[in-house]
Amino acid sequence: MSTLTAPRTTRTLRPGMAARILVLLVAAALTLGPVLWTLSTSLRTPSESFNLPPQFLPLNPDFTSYVEVFQQVNMVLLVVNSALVTLLIAVGQMATAALAGYAFARLSFKGKNALFSVVLATMMVPVQVTIVPVFMLIRGMGLSDTLLALILPAIPTAFGTFLMRQYFLGLPNDFAEAAALDGASPWRTFRSVYAPLAVPGMAIVGILAFNFHWNEFFRPLILTISQENYTLPLGLVTLQGNLGTGSISVVLAGVILSMIPALVVFIFGQRTLREGLTAGASK
Amino acid sequence: MSTPTLKNTTGTTTPAPPTRSSAAARRQRSLAERLIAPLFLAPTVVGMAIFTIVPILGSILLAFFRWDIISAPEFVGFSNFADIVNDPTVRVSFLNTIVFVVVAVTLQLGIAMALAVAIQGRMPNWLRVFFRSAFFFPLILSAASVSIFMGYLFNEQFGVVNWMLSLIGIPAVPWLTTSGGAAAVVVLVYVWQNFGFSFLLFIGGLASIPRELHEASALDGATGWRQFVNVTLPLLSPTVLVASVMAIVSALQIFDQPYVLTRGGPGDSTRTAVMVIFESAFQQLEFGRASAIGLVLMMLIMAITALQFRLSRRFVFYQ
Amino acid sequence: MRSTHLPGQRNPLSARTGDLSRRTLLGTLGIGAVGATVGAWPRLTGADIPGRSSTALNVAILGTSADAAARQALVEEFTSLHPDIPVRIQAIQGADWRDFFSKILTMVAAGNPPDVVYVATEGAQLFAEKLAEPLDPYLTRDAADIQEYFQDVHPSLIEAFMYRGSLYQLPLDWNAANMYLNTSALERAGLDRPADDWNHDDFTATMRAMKSTTDGSFTPYYWTNRLFGGVVPWLYANDTSFLTEEKAAGGDWFWDRFYGQDPTRAQRSGGYLWEAPNAEDPRVIETFDYLRELVAEGLGVRPEGGGGNALVGLFASSRIGATPAGGYWVQGLHEAGMGADDFDVQFFPRWRTQRHQFGAAGYAIMRTARDKDAAWEWVKFCASKPAMELAIPSPNTTPTRRSMVNQSLYAATGPEHWKVFYDTLDRFPTSGPIPAPPQQAAVETALMKNVSVAVSGSSAQVRSAMGSLQRDLELALRSK
Repeated sequence: MSTLTAPRTTRTLRPGMAARILVLLVAAALTLGPVLWTLSTSLRTPSESFNLPPQFLPLNPDFTSYVEVFQQVNMVLLVVNSALVTLLIAVGQMATAALAGYAFARLSFKGKNALFSVVLATMMVPVQVTIVPVFMLIRGMGLSDTLLALILPAIPTAFGTFLMRQYFLGLPNDFAEAAALDGASPWRTFRSVYAPLAVPGMAIVGILAFNFHWNEFFRPLILTISQENYTLPLGLVTLQGNLGTGSISVVLAGVILSMIPALVVFIFGQRTLREGLTAGASK
Repeated sequence: MSTPTLKNTTGTTTPAPPTRSSAAARRQRSLAERLIAPLFLAPTVVGMAIFTIVPILGSILLAFFRWDIISAPEFVGFSNFADIVNDPTVRVSFLNTIVFVVVAVTLQLGIAMALAVAIQGRMPNWLRVFFRSAFFFPLILSAASVSIFMGYLFNEQFGVVNWMLSLIGIPAVPWLTTSGGAAAVVVLVYVWQNFGFSFLLFIGGLASIPRELHEASALDGATGWRQFVNVTLPLLSPTVLVASVMAIVSALQIFDQPYVLTRGGPGDSTRTAVMVIFESAFQQLEFGRASAIGLVLMMLIMAITALQFRLSRRFVFYQ
Repeated sequence: MRSTHLPGQRNPLSARTGDLSRRTLLGTLGIGAVGATVGAWPRLTGADIPGRSSTALNVAILGTSADAAARQALVEEFTSLHPDIPVRIQAIQGADWRDFFSKILTMVAAGNPPDVVYVATEGAQLFAEKLAEPLDPYLTRDAADIQEYFQDVHPSLIEAFMYRGSLYQLPLDWNAANMYLNTSALERAGLDRPADDWNHDDFTATMRAMKSTTDGSFTPYYWTNRLFGGVVPWLYANDTSFLTEEKAAGGDWFWDRFYGQDPTRAQRSGGYLWEAPNAEDPRVIETFDYLRELVAEGLGVRPEGGGGNALVGLFASSRIGATPAGGYWVQGLHEAGMGADDFDVQFFPRWRTQRHQFGAAGYAIMRTARDKDAAWEWVKFCASKPAMELAIPSPNTTPTRRSMVNQSLYAATGPEHWKVFYDTLDRFPTSGPIPAPPQQAAVETALMKNVSVAVSGSSAQVRSAMGSLQRDLELALRSK
């Protein structure tokens, strides 16, 4: 900004800036308030759950509800299941999307555009449309009521392939030329040059997959039966108990516990995700 | 290399024209690529064939049968489709879904845009990070757990929301127990959780708008709203397209929130297309009917997406 | 066009070392994933679930792993009696019975159904129609052994599990929709516990008195929108229902054999039939109108779908004056901190009758069970008194055996008038089960969605909602 106009602009902007920050503050309060209430209510005894005025900060925490969560559901197993499912889906998506994205971006072969359109079109197929046939396929494979039934169908990813294609398109071409002159095969060019360069893009695919499948509800609801195979969101909903016998603070304690792993990934992955998504979307 | 270089538009790294590579080496390489490409594609393409394409074909087939999984399937022709056209519950659920998409996506994009623009202004960096993290935070929660605690917050007698409204003299709102209230809660809970994603896309889009353009228009006297409409929005339109396509496709498939919050009630007021699919298939064991409803939903999603891309040709401005 | 910032292309020409570590990173991740797959293979394929692939008798119950563990003593006792029949309890989680049944159906669809399922009245006819094996031959064969069970169990509970002349389950626990009352709310209103034969006008007066003596954070009557304990108890009290109720012929072989001396023998049948909608019956409309007025006057809440999870906490913290529930609620209130004198129970108010609604549950043998004789041994064992005492150590439900609903069961928890629970059946022998035809899921959906509309508007809205309920029920009952 030029020095000549600066003083005037700042003076006129000031009230506007205050209003902006106020709007942002209100939005942040509305976003975080419910979560804070959940946290503080989970730290109270059941009979105090509905005390009004509400508490948003947990003074006098009481951890009995957390103990109760571990008694009512096998929290450790729920976390292990969710972690296994999301980890393997995430890695599987990263690998397959990187390969397919690379082929669509940098290899030449017949029918490329048509195939890419088909892949993109599958993004519009709601999972509910295919769930019954998928269920029968899973049964045919002898994988009914297993975690693999959740993992395998989720690995092929249209959105991930799209993101990786965009990412590879954005990488410079020089290396391919150089590698070609060295006589490197397409596979070596991918493995030694482009795959390492595309790690941030793959990280985005992985984080998005983690976030989506960590919180996924519908497919586990249909595809798992034994509680030994439940993932976290399913376990939480059933914490609500049968015929209204669940206690609200226990349910909320379960909600808070289930947030922790996702929060860790969020803290470490936020920057990569933001940079990657902002880059991808503005193309 | 053919296609990538055309699309590779990053100004800093314009590819040097291939100089010494002979035509023979080139041909050899493209042959190698053609041979190896299927291997790169196989995991994704075969996986999709098995878990998406075959199931779609299966669903189409299933839509012409009555089948409860326990007994043998019975061919019924188009009667599943006739049934769903005549079933008021199915009709209402599709109508609900469309109204929901319009309201929720408008709110989601509007709020995300307003906050993305607001956060552009000058402020301490830690504050910006705080806001960004706060708005993104709901995305890491599961829709199921969000719906659980929101259900408590919106309780008519004992919920915090009505308690707060009572402080400013508004009588208790029957949020979850009246048609309008329940629909509003489902929209609010959905938007609360999802606006952060559009917000993130928008701040990315805004960051890529050259600062000089804003300064130039400011020198021309354009400020505030006019600058936003005339300069920012057109430059942001590709991002808006991406954000809206993603928001609409995901909103059309809403299930978790009404399933946990209201189970579709009161009445049919929060019953969505996906809920009807779920109920038909896994509660009433009408798998053929469920498939038929699913196919209708899929066609709706495809039609809306196609329409969006068609409209985008007229309204989206590519730099 | 501007360059967008992609982290990977920061230093395209001097990125060699970075690439090396990135390659290592990718490799590590890949190896990690493969390692996790191999290491967790039993978890991924479910092979580590105990008894998964064994030929043990597979018994499915609604509940959590804790509920399954609580039945361990039961299993051990059974194993000591039948060492040749290994049993595996499989707890299936669900928010309500409808959830649970759809899980069982999913198991059938997946090709690995359980052998025995704990089924409540909500699903009795669904199972009888599609999935369960009649107990008739076993009852005839082992009549001498099982006689003692029937002597201890009220025939109304048994009749709920008769379907077209055959008996499908031996109910082990049950609950009527009685009325729970909050003692402090009664005291504040200056009222005593209502009389046994209080009617719906007395009920209204009680709720009004409670309301007028408290502030806004209190609701006199809390009810939930579901098949049990919602609108149906009121319909039964008003001598009607939202479905026509008929009784099937047959079953005389059973009643003559086991309940020949029972004073209510003459009214027993081959089972309930709910085959047509009855939503536009004037008494149904009258009942809904009454509930609508309760809501409009602020005496009752608009009922929410699902379980009403907050209920125990709200009642225990004295924010609710009265709610319909059965004996299953006692333990929950006790654990939420209510003393034995803080609450009490009374019969559901009288209207044209004082017929009650109840729900019950017991084990059903699946038609697909590998060893039905072994399954029957489990069913029979669980109905024995020692087994039921192991299964129901605390009042988190009501045992079907009269002899078990006694002072010692309620000694630690109250309520004072625990006798109300079993007296309900003796005093009102026409009391009926939850109306749940084989199309239960569709019927419950239809009921729930129209109840909430009916009670939150005008009188005219009741009529239109009942019209809509009638149509929805017709659709629901059409297919079997």
